[in-house]
Amino acid sequence: MVSTTLEPSKHKLAEYIHLLESGQALLKDSPEHVLEVVGILHSYGVVLDAYSNNLCYIADNQFLVFFPFFKYFNGEVSRERLFHHWWHERINFEYAEYCMKAMLWHGGGGLDAYVDSPEFREAVEKVIQAKFKNNWVILGLHNIFTEFLPEQMRQMAYYSGLGQFWRVMSDIFMSLSARYDKGEIKSIPDVVQHILDGLVADANKPITYKVTIEDKVYEIIPQSAGLTFLMDTGVPYVEAIFFRGTPFPGTISYNAQAYQIPHDQARFAYGALYADPLPVGSAGIPPTLLMQDMRHYLPEYLHEVYRKTLREEDDLRVQICQTFQRSMFCVTTAAIKGLAPHPLNTTDPEEQKANRAYLENWMDRFVTSQILKANS
Amino acid sequence: MLSALIWLPLLGALAIGLLPGKTEANRFRSIALVVASIVLVVNLLLIFQFDPNSAQMQFVENLPWIEWLGLNYHLGIDGLSFPLVFLNSLLTLIAIFATNKNIERSRLYYSMLLLLSAGAVGAFLAQDLLLFFLFYEVEIIPLYFLIAIWGGKRRAYAAMKFLLYTALSGILVLASFLGVVWLSGDSNFDYESLRGLGLPVATQLLLLAPLLVGLFIKIPIFPFHTWLPDAHVEASTPISVLLAGVLLKLGTYGLLRFGVGLFPEGWAAIAPWMATLAAISALYGASCAIAQKDMKKVVAYSSIAHMAYILIAAAALTPLSLIAAVLQMISHGLISALLFLVVGVVYKKTGTRDVDSLTGLLNPERGLPITGSIMILGVMASCGIPGMVGFIAEFLVFRSTFPIFPIQTLLCLVGTGLTAVYFLLVVNRVFFGRLTEKLERLPQVKWSERAPAFVLTALIIAFGIQPNWMVRWSEAQTTSLATIDGQILSQNSQKLEISELKNNFTQNISTPQIISTEMSQRY
Amino acid sequence: MSEFLLQNCWLIPLYGFIGALLSLPWSLGLIRTTGPRPAAYLNLLMTGLGFIHGSIAFTAIWFEQVQPRELVLDWLQVADLDLSLAIEISPVSLGALEVVTGITLLAQVYALGYMEKDWSLARFYGLMGFFEAALGGIAISDNLLLSYGLLEMLTLSTYLLVGFWYAQPLVVTAARDAFLTKRVGDILLLMGIVALSSYGAGLTFSDLASWAETSPISPTIAALLGLALIAGPTGKCAQFPLNLWLDEAMEGPNPAGILRNSIVVSAGAYVLIKLQPVFTLSPVSSVALIAIGSVTAIGASFMALAQIDIKRALSHSTSVYLGLVFIAVGLGHVDIAFLLLFSHSFAKALLFMSIGSIILNTSCQNITEMGGLWSRMPATTTAFVVGSAGLVALMPMGMFWTLQRWLNGSWEISWWLLGVLLFVNTLCAMNLTRVFRLVFLGPPQPKTRRSPEVPWPMALPMVTLTIVTLLVPSVPQSWPFWLSLTPPLELTNALDIELGIPLLIASGVFGLVLGATIDLRRADARPTQTFLRFWQDLFAYDFYIAKVYDVTVVWAVSTISKITSWIDRFIVDGLVNLVGWATIFGGNVLKYNVSGQSQFYILTILLAVSLLLLWSGITGQWSAVISNWLSSANY
Repeated sequence: MVSTTLEPSKHKLAEYIHLLESGQALLKDSPEHVLEVVGILHSYGVVLDAYSNNLCYIADNQFLVFFPFFKYFNGEVSRERLFHHWWHERINFEYAEYCMKAMLWHGGGGLDAYVDSPEFREAVEKVIQAKFKNNWVILGLHNIFTEFLPEQMRQMAYYSGLGQFWRVMSDIFMSLSARYDKGEIKSIPDVVQHILDGLVADANKPITYKVTIEDKVYEIIPQSAGLTFLMDTGVPYVEAIFFRGTPFPGTISYNAQAYQIPHDQARFAYGALYADPLPVGSAGIPPTLLMQDMRHYLPEYLHEVYRKTLREEDDLRVQICQTFQRSMFCVTTAAIKGLAPHPLNTTDPEEQKANRAYLENWMDRFVTSQILKANS
Repeated sequence: MLSALIWLPLLGALAIGLLPGKTEANRFRSIALVVASIVLVVNLLLIFQFDPNSAQMQFVENLPWIEWLGLNYHLGIDGLSFPLVFLNSLLTLIAIFATNKNIERSRLYYSMLLLLSAGAVGAFLAQDLLLFFLFYEVEIIPLYFLIAIWGGKRRAYAAMKFLLYTALSGILVLASFLGVVWLSGDSNFDYESLRGLGLPVATQLLLLAPLLVGLFIKIPIFPFHTWLPDAHVEASTPISVLLAGVLLKLGTYGLLRFGVGLFPEGWAAIAPWMATLAAISALYGASCAIAQKDMKKVVAYSSIAHMAYILIAAAALTPLSLIAAVLQMISHGLISALLFLVVGVVYKKTGTRDVDSLTGLLNPERGLPITGSIMILGVMASCGIPGMVGFIAEFLVFRSTFPIFPIQTLLCLVGTGLTAVYFLLVVNRVFFGRLTEKLERLPQVKWSERAPAFVLTALIIAFGIQPNWMVRWSEAQTTSLATIDGQILSQNSQKLEISELKNNFTQNISTPQIISTEMSQRY
Repeated sequence: MSEFLLQNCWLIPLYGFIGALLSLPWSLGLIRTTGPRPAAYLNLLMTGLGFIHGSIAFTAIWFEQVQPRELVLDWLQVADLDLSLAIEISPVSLGALEVVTGITLLAQVYALGYMEKDWSLARFYGLMGFFEAALGGIAISDNLLLSYGLLEMLTLSTYLLVGFWYAQPLVVTAARDAFLTKRVGDILLLMGIVALSSYGAGLTFSDLASWAETSPISPTIAALLGLALIAGPTGKCAQFPLNLWLDEAMEGPNPAGILRNSIVVSAGAYVLIKLQPVFTLSPVSSVALIAIGSVTAIGASFMALAQIDIKRALSHSTSVYLGLVFIAVGLGHVDIAFLLLFSHSFAKALLFMSIGSIILNTSCQNITEMGGLWSRMPATTTAFVVGSAGLVALMPMGMFWTLQRWLNGSWEISWWLLGVLLFVNTLCAMNLTRVFRLVFLGPPQPKTRRSPEVPWPMALPMVTLTIVTLLVPSVPQSWPFWLSLTPPLELTNALDIELGIPLLIASGVFGLVLGATIDLRRADARPTQTFLRFWQDLFAYDFYIAKVYDVTVVWAVSTISKITSWIDRFIVDGLVNLVGWATIFGGNVLKYNVSGQSQFYILTILLAVSLLLLWSGITGQWSAVISNWLSSANY
C-alpha cells in the first residue's frame, strides 16, 4: 500500500526500509526469531533488573566513596555473599558500569548538558562540602584538583540515569516475556509494538538524582531540570551503546600510529548493533560479561534451542550474543518507530517522503552493522 | 620377558586377524588397546628390574634358531634400546587410542598396527644382525599398508615411495651386515661377537658406507629424505605419530648400535663429514619448513632438522654426545608425536591443514582453544624452550659436539633458531586472529581426543624439568659405547679423559691395542 | 623463623608459578559457569605471600647481617658435564627479588581494575604469575644456565602476554616479532653458553668471574664469545638492532606493559651485569656494549620524541635508559648500572600505571587527542609528574641521584659519556614535558572531556608506587655501591667531574624549557614543511628499521627458504625419484597415479629380494653368494 505512492528506495539496505514501511521490523518475522528474541529479552530483563538496582544503589549510597569495596553488594554484606562474590558466582556488574562509562564518555542528550551546568556544579559542591565536612585532606585536594570530585559526581549522575533507564527497560522486557508465555506475542511486529508502547508510556518519566548525607537530602538533578526518560537517557543510550560503543581491545588496536580508531567519536561503530559476535568469550571483549550473565537466566525453551546446536553449550555465549543482537534490532526498530517524524503507516505522501528520508538516514548507519547476519 | 614385548603384539595382531565372524570395529579396537596396555605394563615392570648402572645387555634371551645360517633368536636390552622400547610401547598405545573409532577395515588396521609395533620393538631388542634386519624389514610391510590403505589422496604414491626407499635402506643395511659376517670369517650374526673385530679402517669404511646410506634413508638425512614429507602428509595421524616417534628412531638407533658399535675406527674417520652432513640437513630441513603451507609438512621437515642433531651427536662420539643423542631421540619422539597428534586434531575438525585457510583457532567458544594451547606448548618444546625436554636434549647435543665440531654445531644452533621462525609463522597464522567464516562451525573436541596429547605434554614437561629420569637409563651404556671409540677419536681431538675408560674393562675383551696398554697400566 | 624463610627463599619465584598453575582450571575453560576472578585472587594471594616471604628474608639478610650464601641444586650430572643450578642469597639478589615481587604485586592489583571487563582474566593472571616466577628466578639465580632458562621463560611469557588479545590483527604480528627478536638474541646467547661451558668455565657467575681471570682463550674467541653473550641481553633490553619488539609489544595489555617496561627489560640487563667479568676478556665486548648502548640511547631518544602513541612515547625511553645501563656495564661501572636499573624501574612502572588509567578512561592512546586531564585525575597526574621527575635528572629524585653518583668522582668519566648523558637527559625531559602538556594541560578534547579518576584497584597501587618512587632517591644516596664494596676512585678535581652535576641540571632545565615551548601537534595536524615532516616520520617510524629488516633479514630468510623448498621439490626429490629409482625399476613406478597392481608388483619384488637372500643362506649358498657379490664389487 505504501510503495504504490512512493518509488522503491535505492538505498543499499532498501529491503529493510521497505520492511519498516510495511509495518515489519529490522529483524525478519519468523517463529524462531520470536522465540529467540523473547527468550533472550527475558534473560536480559532479569539481568537489567539486577544492573539497574545496583547502579541506583551505587549512585545513592556509594557516591564519593574512595574504597567502595562492597559496591556490588547492594548493602547486604554477609559471609555467604562474600564467598559467592569471591568465587565470582555473581552478576557481572562491571558490565553495567562499562555501559555507564560509555554513555558518560560519548555524552549527548539533556543529561550530558545538565552535568556541565552551573546548577549541577553548585549542587555538587554542597554535597562535597557536606560529605567531607571534617576531612581537610580531601577538601585540600578538592581545592587543587577542582574537577576531581565534581567529575566523580557526574559519573554518579550517569550511574543513576542509566539505572533509571534500565529500570524501565527491564520492566518492559519482563512484561513482554510474560505476555509471550500467555500467548499474546506471536510475531516480531508484536514484540516491537510491545516495546514501543512501553517506551511511549514512560517517555516523559522524569530522571532525577538525589542523595542523602546525614539525613539531609541533596537534590543533584531535581525534577525541575526537566530531564526525561526517552530523550535524555534513552536516545543517548541507544547512540552510545547500540551504535558507537568503545573499541574492544581484543579486536581493535589502540595504537595511535595505526589509526584504527577514528578521531571523531561520531564515527565510532563498535556498539551492540555492530559488534562481531564471534569473538565473544575471547580476551578483550567486554560484552562477554553480559552474555555470561544472561546465560544463567535463559528460559528453558531457548536453552533447549542452544543445546541442540553443533557445539552444544560450548559456544553458548556466542549464540547468546547472536540472539541478543537480533533482539537489539527489534528494540532499535521500536526506537526508530517512536522517533519517526510521522507514523510509519501514514498514507500522506508528504509524510511518507519525510519518513523515507528519516529511514534512509538511519539505514546509512546500518550499512556496516550486523543487520544482514542477524537476519541470515 | 623381552619376548613378551614382541610376541604379545604379534599374538594380538593374529587374534584380531583371525577372530571369527563379523565383529564390529570397537571390538578390534578394544583388543588392540588391551594388548598395547599389557605391553606398556610389561615395560613398566621392566623399569623396576632394569639395572641402569650396568653397561651389559640385560634380560638376555638367546636361542639358536637357524644355526647353520648363524641366525640366533638373541634378544637383549640395554640403556640404548630401553628408552626406545618404552617410547614404542607408549606411542603404540597412544596411536591406537588416537585412531578414529569408526575407521574402515578396522580388522586389518589394528592388526597391522600391532604388527608394526612388534616389528619395531623386535628391531630394538635384536642382538643378532640378521634378526635386526628381519624385524627392520617386517616393520616396513605393515607401515606400507597403513599408509597405502588409510592415507590421504596421494597415499598410493607416498606409500610406494616409502616402500622403495626403506626397502633399499634395508637392502643396504643387509649388505653391510653380510659383509661384516663374511669378513669376520664367521657364519654367526651375533652382535657381541662381531664387535671389536679390529677390521682395517679401509674395510670398515667400505662396510660402513652402505650401512650409513641405508640408515640415512631411514632417519632421514638430506638428501635421502624426500620420502618422509610425502609419507607424513599422506599417512593418517596415528601413523604419523608412530612414524615420527618411533620408526625414524630405528635409523638413529642403527647408527649408534651398528655404525658406532661395529665400525668404530671407520666411524671416527668420517665423523667430520657426518657432522657436516648433519648441519646441512638441519639447516635444509628448517629452511624447507619455513616455505611449507601444509602444517603436517612443516612438522615433517622439522623432524628432518631435529633428527639431524642426533647424527651430529653420534658423530662426535663422546660419552656426553652419545647420551645426548639418546635424549634427543626421546625428545624428538615425544615432541614430534605431540605435534602430529595436535595437527591431526586440527585436521579432523577443520578438514584442512593449509596454513593459509586456517586462522583464529584459539577462539574459546567456536575454535579449538585447548588444542591450540597444546600446539603452542609443543611448538615451544620443539624450539628448545627450557622447562621442556627439547631444551636439555638439544643443549646436551650442542654442548657435547661444540668442542669437536664447532662450526657444524653453530650451524645446527642456527637451525634451532629457525625452528622458532617456521613454527611461529604457523601458530600465529593458524591460531591467532579471528576465525574465518568457513571455520565458524567446527565440531567439538572431546576430552578423549585430547587425552593422548595431555599424556605426551606431561612427559615433555616432566623430562624437561627432571632430565635425570631419562639420563640414568642410558648413561652407563652410552658411556661404554663411546669409550673404546672415544679413545680413537681422542687421537684427533684430545678430548678423552682417563676416567671415561673406567667402565669398560670387563666387557670388551677384544679391545683394540691402544686400550690394552691403558688397562695394563692400571692393573 | 627468619632463618628458615631465608634458607627457603628459592621458593619465592615458585609462588608465582603456583599461582599460574592454580589459574589453569579457569584459563582452560574447565570452570565455565562462574567467572574467572578467583584465579586473579589466588594469584594475588600467592604474589602477596611471595612478597611477605621476600620481605622477611630481605630484612633478615639486610639488618641481621646474615652471611650471603649459595644454594646449589644438582640438576643434572651426565658424563663429564655437571649442570648444577645455583641460587644466590645476598642483599643484592634478595633486593632485586623484592623489587620484582613488589612491582608485580602492584601491577596485579592494578590489573584487577584495568582488566575487570576481560573474561580471560584467569589466563592473564596465570601469565603474570609465570612472568613473575621467571623474573624472580633471574633475580636470585647465580648460574648462567639457570638464568638463560629463565630468560627463555620470559621470552615465552612475553610472547603469550603480548599475544593475550590474540584475535587483534596487530597483536598477531607483535607477539610473533617479540618472540623472534628475543629469540635471535637468545640463540646467540645460547651459543655463548655452549662455548663457555665447552671451554671449561663453570656456569655459576662466580666461577665465570674466576675463569675469566685465568682464561686461556684466544682474543678472537674472546671477542666472539663476548658478542654472543651480549646478544641475549640486547634482545631482552630492546637495544638496537633488536629494539623494535618493545614498540610492537605495546599492543599487549597495559598491566603487563608496566612489568615489561620496568623489570622485564631490567632482567636482561641484570644478567648482563652479572656477566660483566667475562666482558673484560676482550676489549671488543666493552666497545660493543658502549656502541650498542650509545646508539640506542641517542636513537631511541629521538624516536620517543616523535611518537604520538602514549605508550610508545614512553616505551622508547625504556630503551634509552637500558642503553645507559649497557654503557655503564661496558665501562665496568656495574654499581651504576645496577642503580640505573633500580631507579628506572620504579619511575617507569609508575609512568605506565599513570598512562594506563588514561587509556582506560579515554579509550584512546593518541596524545594529540588528549588534554586537560590534570584537574580531574589527581592520582594519575601526580603519578605522571612523580614518575617523570624520577626519570629526569633535574629534581632530586632517583635518576638525579643515580647520575650524580656516576659523576661525583667515584668513576672515571669521559667527555663523550657526559655528552650522551646530557643529551639523553635533555631529550627525556623534553619528551616528558611534551607528553605532559598534551595529555594533562590545555583544554579538554572530546575524548578527554569526561574523565573521572580511576577506581581504587588502579588508584591504590598508583599512589603506593608514587610514594615508593619518592623514596627511591634514598637508595643511590645511601648505598651507591652494591656490587663493589669500596669506592673505586676518588677523583674530585677533574673538570668533567666538577662540571658534571651543574651541566646535568642545566640539561634537565633546558629539556623542560624546550618541551614547554615547542609547538604541540594536535590531532591530525601534520607539519607542513617537508623538511620537518621527513624527520618526524623518520623518528616516528623508528628510523624505518622495520622496513630495513623487511628487505634484508626477512627477505633473505624467506627467499632462501623458497629456493630450498623449490630445490627440494624439483631437484632433490626429482633427482632421487627419477634418476635413482627410474633406472632400477623402469621408470613407471613412481608416476603420481600408481595403480594398485604395480604396488603389489613392487612389493613382491622387494619381498622376493629379501627372501632370496635368506633362502640362499638357508640352502647353504651363503658363501658362494657373498664371494660372488664381493668379487664383482671389490676385486
